[in-house]
Amino acid sequence: MSFRTKLFLIFLITVLASVSLVAYGVTHYTQAAFEEMDAQRTDALVAQFQKEFAQRGEEVVHQVENIANAEITLRMALDLARVNADPSLYVHDATGAAQDHGLDFVEFVNADGTLISSAQYPARVGYKSDWVTATKDWKDSKAFLKKEELPDSVALSLTVVRTLPVGDKNFYIIGGRRLDQNFLASLELPSGMRTLLYRNVEQSFIPAALTDDHGEAAQADRFAAIIEQIQKSPQPVVQTVNWSTNPADAETFHAIPLPGRNGELLGVLLVGSSRRELVALTTHIFEIAGIAVAAALLAGLFISFWVAARITRPVEELAEGAREVAAGRWDTHIRVRGRDEIGQLAGAFNDMTHTLAEQKERLVQTERVAAWRELARRLAHELRNPLFPMQITVENLQRAKQLEAKQFLEVFNESTATLRAELANLNAIVARFSDFAKMPTPHFSRVNVNEALRDAVRLFEAQFHAVGKPVITPEFFLTEPLPEIDADAEMLHRAFQNLVLNALDAMPAGGTLTIHTLQHEGDVRIEVADTGKGLTPEECSRLFTPYYTTKSQGTGLGLAIVQSVVSDHHGAISVISEEGRGATFRIELPEHQPDGGASSSGAEDAASPRVAASVGTARPPIPRPPIEVA
Amino acid sequence: MNSSKQTRMPAHTHAEVRPRAVRRLLLTASPGEHRARFACLLMLIIAFTCRASGAATAPRYGGTLIVELHAPALVLDPATWKAGSPEDSANLQMAAAVFDRLVTLDRYGRFRPALATEWSHDAACRRWQFTLRSAVQFSDASALTAAEVVAALQELAPGFSPAKPAITASGNHVIVQFSSPVPDLLEQFASGRNFIYRRNPDGALLGTGPFYLAAVVPAAGNTFARYEFAGNEHCWSGRPFVDRMQVTLGVPILRQLFDLQLGKAHVVELSPELVRRAAQENLRVWASAPVLLYALQIATESPAASRGDAAVARAAGLGEALSLALDRDTMANVLLQKQAEPAASFLPQWLSGYASVFNTENDVTRAKKISGALFAVAGAQNAAQPLRLRVEAPGDLARLIAERVAINARQAGISVQLQSRGSVLQGSATQGTSPAGSTTLATNNASKATDLGSLRLIAWRYSSLSERAELDAMVAALQIARPDTEAPSPDPEELFSREQRLIAERSLLPLVVMPEYIGLGSPVRDWMPERWGAWHLADVWLDEKRGDTATPANGKAQP
Repeated sequence: MSFRTKLFLIFLITVLASVSLVAYGVTHYTQAAFEEMDAQRTDALVAQFQKEFAQRGEEVVHQVENIANAEITLRMALDLARVNADPSLYVHDATGAAQDHGLDFVEFVNADGTLISSAQYPARVGYKSDWVTATKDWKDSKAFLKKEELPDSVALSLTVVRTLPVGDKNFYIIGGRRLDQNFLASLELPSGMRTLLYRNVEQSFIPAALTDDHGEAAQADRFAAIIEQIQKSPQPVVQTVNWSTNPADAETFHAIPLPGRNGELLGVLLVGSSRRELVALTTHIFEIAGIAVAAALLAGLFISFWVAARITRPVEELAEGAREVAAGRWDTHIRVRGRDEIGQLAGAFNDMTHTLAEQKERLVQTERVAAWRELARRLAHELRNPLFPMQITVENLQRAKQLEAKQFLEVFNESTATLRAELANLNAIVARFSDFAKMPTPHFSRVNVNEALRDAVRLFEAQFHAVGKPVITPEFFLTEPLPEIDADAEMLHRAFQNLVLNALDAMPAGGTLTIHTLQHEGDVRIEVADTGKGLTPEECSRLFTPYYTTKSQGTGLGLAIVQSVVSDHHGAISVISEEGRGATFRIELPEHQPDGGASSSGAEDAASPRVAASVGTARPPIPRPPIEVA
Repeated sequence: MNSSKQTRMPAHTHAEVRPRAVRRLLLTASPGEHRARFACLLMLIIAFTCRASGAATAPRYGGTLIVELHAPALVLDPATWKAGSPEDSANLQMAAAVFDRLVTLDRYGRFRPALATEWSHDAACRRWQFTLRSAVQFSDASALTAAEVVAALQELAPGFSPAKPAITASGNHVIVQFSSPVPDLLEQFASGRNFIYRRNPDGALLGTGPFYLAAVVPAAGNTFARYEFAGNEHCWSGRPFVDRMQVTLGVPILRQLFDLQLGKAHVVELSPELVRRAAQENLRVWASAPVLLYALQIATESPAASRGDAAVARAAGLGEALSLALDRDTMANVLLQKQAEPAASFLPQWLSGYASVFNTENDVTRAKKISGALFAVAGAQNAAQPLRLRVEAPGDLARLIAERVAINARQAGISVQLQSRGSVLQGSATQGTSPAGSTTLATNNASKATDLGSLRLIAWRYSSLSERAELDAMVAALQIARPDTEAPSPDPEELFSREQRLIAERSLLPLVVMPEYIGLGSPVRDWMPERWGAWHLADVWLDEKRGDTATPANGKAQP
C-alpha cells in the first residue's frame, strides 16, 4: 500500500471518525435532552395527578360535608339515636344522597359502627364498619385512598369521613368517589401520554385489576413485572415496555404506588409516555447524521485525496529521486516545494545528490587513478618480466662484442632467440590487455547452458588426465531438461571456459570439478565448484577486480571477464568459499533478457552486475560498485 | 263510552264452601296485615263518611284504564306458562281479564259459579262433574261448548294435582275423573292457569272474559309495547265498566311510579323499596298477601331424583350451614324495609296455615362449624373455590337478596360467587370473617362448580289456592325431592309432614316472602282484588271527576 493510499485512508478514517463522533454526540445529547424533557413531562403529569387527586379530595370533602350538614341527614341521625329506632327506614337514603351530591360511594354508619345505608353495597346494611369508629376524630381529616368492596368487584375510592355528633354519640357519613377509568379519562394528558390504574386487590398481579381510561387495559400481563416490583417494594419504578419489535411502539411507564390511610399499598398509578416521538426524533437525527456523514465522507474523500496528493507529491518526488540515484544518476535534482520539513528534506536530498555526484566524480577519478596505477603496476610488472631478460640479453650481447665471432654468434643467436621470445611474450601481454579492453557487444540467442558447459569442459579434457600431473575429475549434475536462455553463446562459452580454467588453476594437486545446473526462480543457476585450497574473505572481496590474481602467472583478467559477461547478461555471480575446502562460483542468468534478447549496446548499457562473494557458508551476494574498464 | 248490552252482575249470592287458604287469609294476619287492615278500615270509614255526606258516586261505564307493567311482553296462552314463574304474574292477571274459569272465589272465600253453574263429585272426590252455563259466548260471539272446555282443560291437565285426569264432555256437562281423591279441585280450578279458552287453528286464543285483546302495538324506538283490550260485549257476566284497557309493557318500576304521580297511569306495579315512598306521597298502594317467595336452592350437577346419598348428605350439610348463616330477619326488616316477611317454609302461612311452625334460626357459629367440617371433608380445593350463586329470579331485588346471601355465607366461611341469569358476574364475595373483608375478582376457575354443587336464587310466585297443588308444582319444577310413587295426600297433616321432610333436606332454603304491591291512581274505583293477588279488572271503574284522569298514553318512553 502506497504512502499516499495510507495517508488518504488515515485522512478518510479521521474524517469519518470525527463526523461519527459528532453525530453520536449530537444524537446522544439530543436523546438525553428528550429523555429529560420526557421525564419532566412525566413529573409534571404526576404532579398534575397529585394536584387533581388533592382537588378531587377537596371536592369529596365538600360534598360529604354537605351531606353531613343536610337536614335529612340530621333528622336521620337524630332518629337513629333514639331507642328502638327503625334503621330500615333509611336503607336507601345513601343512594339518594350519592345521587344528589354526585358521589359514587356514600354510607351512613351508626354510632356503634352499624352500617345503616350503603349506596354502593346495600346488601351489607346491618354489618359493622369498625374502622370508622376506631378513629375518634374525623373532623378536618383529608380524603384518603380506600379499597372499596363492591358486590361484584373491588374499587379504589377517594374517601372522606365526617361525623355528625348527636348527643354524646357520633353519626358517621362516609363518602367517596371512585378512582376508575372515568377518573383517568378526566386527567388532561399531553399527546403521547396515558395513565393506567392498578387496583392492588391481591398479593399477586391480577390483569383484570389494571384499567386505563377505556376500561380493562389491553395486554395487562406486560405490566406484571412493574406491579410485582412495587408490590414487593412500594417505591416509584420507571420501566420501558416494548409492545412490538418496532421501538416506536415502546412506552416508558412511571409507576407510582398509591398508599392507603395506613400506608398499605392500595393501587399503582402508571403514567405512560410513548417513545414514538423520541424514536422519530432519534431516527430523524440519525438520518441527518447519516447524510452529514455521507457528505463529510464524500468531502473527506476528495479533501483527503487532494491533501494526500499534495503531501505525498514531494515525498514521491524524493522517492523517485532516490530511485534515480539508485539507478546511478547521481546528479538527480528534485523540485523544492516550500520551506516545510518536506521542502527541507528535498533540499537536503538535492544537497546529498550534489555531494554524492561530486564524491562520485572524485571517486571515479580516484578509482581511475588507482586503476591506472594498478594497470601501470601490472603493466610494469608484466613488462618488467620480459624486459629484464631482454636487458640482460642486450647487456650480454654488448659484452659479447669483445668475444670471438663464434662465441659472439653463439651468444648473439642465443640472445636474439631470447629477445624474440620475450618480445613474443610482450606481444602476448599486450594482446591480452587488448582483448579485455575490447569486450564485444553480446548478441543474444537461445542457448542451451548445459551444452555450453559441456563444451567448455571438453576443451580441458586433456589437462584432466595429463601425464605427470594430478588427476582432476569433472562431475556433472546437470538438470535436464534445462530451459534455454537468451545469451551470447560465444561470450558465455568464454566465461565458462574462464571459470573451468580458474578451477583447474585452483587444484594444482588434483581434485574434483563439480558443475551443477538447475532452474531457480525463473533463472538458470550454474555452479562451478573446485576442491582447491579455497579463498580468504579478503580474496573473495577482491576476486573480480581486474588484474587481481592470487596466481603467480595470472593476469587477473579471467574472473573479471566472467563478471563482465554475466553483467552483460543481466545476471549475478557470487563465490562461496571456505578456506581449505575449495570454492564454488555461482552464476544466475535470466531466461529472458529484459529487452527481449536484443543485442546489448555494450558494457555501458548493461545492467550493473550483481557480484557477491561469501566465505564459509552460502550467503547472499554482496553488491559491488560497477567496474569500469579503462 | 260504549253502550252496554248487559249490566255487570253484582258480586253476591251462591255461598259455597270456602277454601282453607281463604279462611286463613280472613282469620289470620300478620302485624303488617293488621296495619294494612286498619288502613283499609280507616279508608272504609272515610269512604262511608264521604258517601254519607253525599259525595258517593255510583259506578260508571266508560273510560280507558291505563295499566303499566314491568314485564316486557304478555303471553296470554296459559299452556305455555311455567309454574311458579314470577314473570307469568302479569300474564295471569291479564289472562284473567280475557278468560273465565269454571268456578271462582269471591273475596269472602266462597266458590262462585263462573262458566260452571253447578258441580258435584262422588264420595271419594275422584269424579267431578261440572254443569256449564248456557249461552256463554266467546268474544267473537260464538258459543262455548263442553268440548271446548274439555279441550282447554286437557291442555292444562299436566298442571293439575294429580296430573292428567280423564276429562270428558257429556252434553252440557264436563266430567273430570281422577285415579285418586281430589277434594281440592275447586281450589285448583279457581286459581292458577286453569282458564277456559278456545284455541283457533291459527293458534290464537279466544276467551269468554270481560275483555278481549283488541290490538298489539309493538315496541318501536323509544316507545314501549302496548296491548289494548276492549270490553267484551258478549261476556256472560256483562261488559266491564271501562270501555278499554291499555296495558303498556316494559315500563321501569320507577317510571311507573312517576306516571302514577303524574296521572298518566291508573294501575302500576310497585317494588317494595318504592312502597314507602309512594305512601309518603299519598299514593294509593294495594298489597296482596305474600305471594312471592325468594328461596335459595342448592343445586348439584344431577337432579335430586338421581343424587346419591353422599351427595344428598353434602347438599344437606351445606344447606344447613347456609340456613343457619342466613339472616332472614335483616333481609326482610332492614334490606326490604319490612315489606317482606322471613320465610322458613315453602308454602306461606296464608296458604298452608302451618308455616309459623317452622323456625328461621340464625346461628353463624354453628354454621361455621358445619361448613368447616364440610370443607374439611370436601378438601382444600373445594374450600378455596367459591360456590356459584346463580341469580335466576328477576329484578334488582333478587340481586340485592343474593348479595346479602353471599355476605351471610361468607360469615359462615362459605365463599360464594354471584352469577347473573345470563353470565358470570365480574366479582364475588369471598370467604372471610369481616363483612368488609376482601373481595376477589373473578378468575378463570370461577365458573367451575365445586363438588358441593352450586346455588340458585329463585323466586316462586304462588298461583294456586290449593296448597297441595302448589307444593307439587314447586317440587316438580324445582326438582327438590324424589318424586312420590303415590299421589300426595291432600290431608293437611300429611301435607305438613311432607313439607317438613322437604325442608329438612335443605335443598331449598326459603328466604323471604313478599306481597305484590300495586299503585292505584285516584280515579280508580272498586279496585277489589283478592288477597292472593287475583285482580278483578272488570269491576274497576274510573271516577273521571277526580280531575287527574289518566290520558291514554301512546306509550312513549321518557327519560
